[in-house]
Amino acid sequence: MASIILDRVTVDFPIYNAKKRSLKSELIRRTVGGHIEAIDDNHVSVMALRDVSLELKDGDRLGLIGRNGAGKSTLLRVLSGVYEPPIGRVAIDGTISSLTDMTMGMDAEATGYENILLRSVFLGVSVKQARASIADIEEFTELGNFLKLPMRTYSSGMVVRLAFAISTAVTPEILIMDEIVGAGDAAFFVKAEARLNRLIGSTHILVLASHDHEILRRICNKAALMEEGRLRMIGPVDEVLAAYSGLA
Amino acid sequence: MTELDIGKAAGPDRAALPKPPTMAQHLELAWRDVSVGLTDWRMWLLLGLNDIRQRYRRSRLGQFWITLAMAITIVTLGFLYAYLFHQSLELYLPYLGTGFVVWGLVSGIILEGCTVFIASEGYLRQVPMPKSVFVHRMLVRNVVTFLHNMIIIPPLYIIFHVPMGAVQLLALPAFMLLLLNGIWVGLFLGTVCARFRDMPQIMASLVQVAFYLTPVMYPKVQLPEKWRWLFRLNPFQDFLDILREPMLGKAPPLDAWAISIAVTIVGLALTAVFFSRFRARIVYWL
Repeated sequence: MASIILDRVTVDFPIYNAKKRSLKSELIRRTVGGHIEAIDDNHVSVMALRDVSLELKDGDRLGLIGRNGAGKSTLLRVLSGVYEPPIGRVAIDGTISSLTDMTMGMDAEATGYENILLRSVFLGVSVKQARASIADIEEFTELGNFLKLPMRTYSSGMVVRLAFAISTAVTPEILIMDEIVGAGDAAFFVKAEARLNRLIGSTHILVLASHDHEILRRICNKAALMEEGRLRMIGPVDEVLAAYSGLA
Repeated sequence: MTELDIGKAAGPDRAALPKPPTMAQHLELAWRDVSVGLTDWRMWLLLGLNDIRQRYRRSRLGQFWITLAMAITIVTLGFLYAYLFHQSLELYLPYLGTGFVVWGLVSGIILEGCTVFIASEGYLRQVPMPKSVFVHRMLVRNVVTFLHNMIIIPPLYIIFHVPMGAVQLLALPAFMLLLLNGIWVGLFLGTVCARFRDMPQIMASLVQVAFYLTPVMYPKVQLPEKWRWLFRLNPFQDFLDILREPMLGKAPPLDAWAISIAVTIVGLALTAVFFSRFRARIVYWL
């Protein structure tokens, strides 16, 4: 059983090195969805989330949509437990894996095998679990002896394969993703897609931020629309997507 | 939850705004951060050792380059200063060598403690890891560096006939106390430096000054007796003494132990409050 409860969460970022004046022009611009507020003459803060309440439980596949700067990434970070909001309450129950940056924690100078352990640590996977998934990763990546070489000798496609394989090796209870990532050439892409679908299918809760409406329709069973840090609407995917299209 | 709720978000009952966490809750979360961080020892051991391994990649001597540089400094300064300070080489070189190696550990923990969170920005902004993991990682790195530098010690002690005995075992608890201090120093300085980015530079200058004010390169007796009480004001001297003295085969002064323990307790208590209060904010400052 996994669950996520957000209760009137507000997140603002203090910007210490910005002068209010230099941000004035930004205030007028409405092309992005964020909101910049001046606390006083010297302090500027960016309001990233305002009064967001949300409840997710087992089986929920939530798609997040909204313009750039609407607060999607901030919300993903609150949901994954990275940002503890100064206002509001967050209760997250379950193991979380955040696939926002697939290569995070990997070291180009380390070998493929070493990177399996390094990357796994940042996925919240124990070293023991990581060791257990090595066989699966070997088989999936088809990198063979390359795994014994430093990662800097890999082609970029090979790096993606390895990063993808490690990141999807262990199924978390809560999976957070920022856009669906494909991996590698055509043949590998099919394999990767199958693996990702299996992961998405077996996780208890999925939250996916994406601009791709087709993917959202296919994967998600509900959607949420973000605008200027607020959760404008939450409901069936088609209706939320329609409302979003009307907005743009 | 209603299926479609246009205009406002569905959610729990809209009673009074949830209260901000109390200090007790802050303390509990901070404690969980530190205790989970400690239980995940495989994690920080892996990360810390990888940091060291990185120094060995495509470098034959790797970490030992630092050790070699330190050894050269000790030998050249040792001969020079023994004459300048009118010391016997036999006493001065082991004193200077031990002092340098121990000071390397102390200053390394302080300087790298400043950047524990800044340097881990990429991780802390993406995954909800205990923040203390990055402090332990820094300590692993510094312990391994210290062990590298320790190879300077045996030849020095053999050549200059430093007495070996049971008293050397007293270095072990001193070493552990130093590491315990490393935890609060890392959590405290790491947090302060994440917020105030000028702090790492300021700390670097302060550590440099502390190096000159602490009897690392010169014996305490070189200072006229009426001024010697000034060393009392410098707790670095005590941490240095509790480790250096037993290594050199002498019993460490009790007051050095007393002050070191007092500093540890005050530091841990201060950090418990400070880190609890600001732990959740760190990631916003990165």
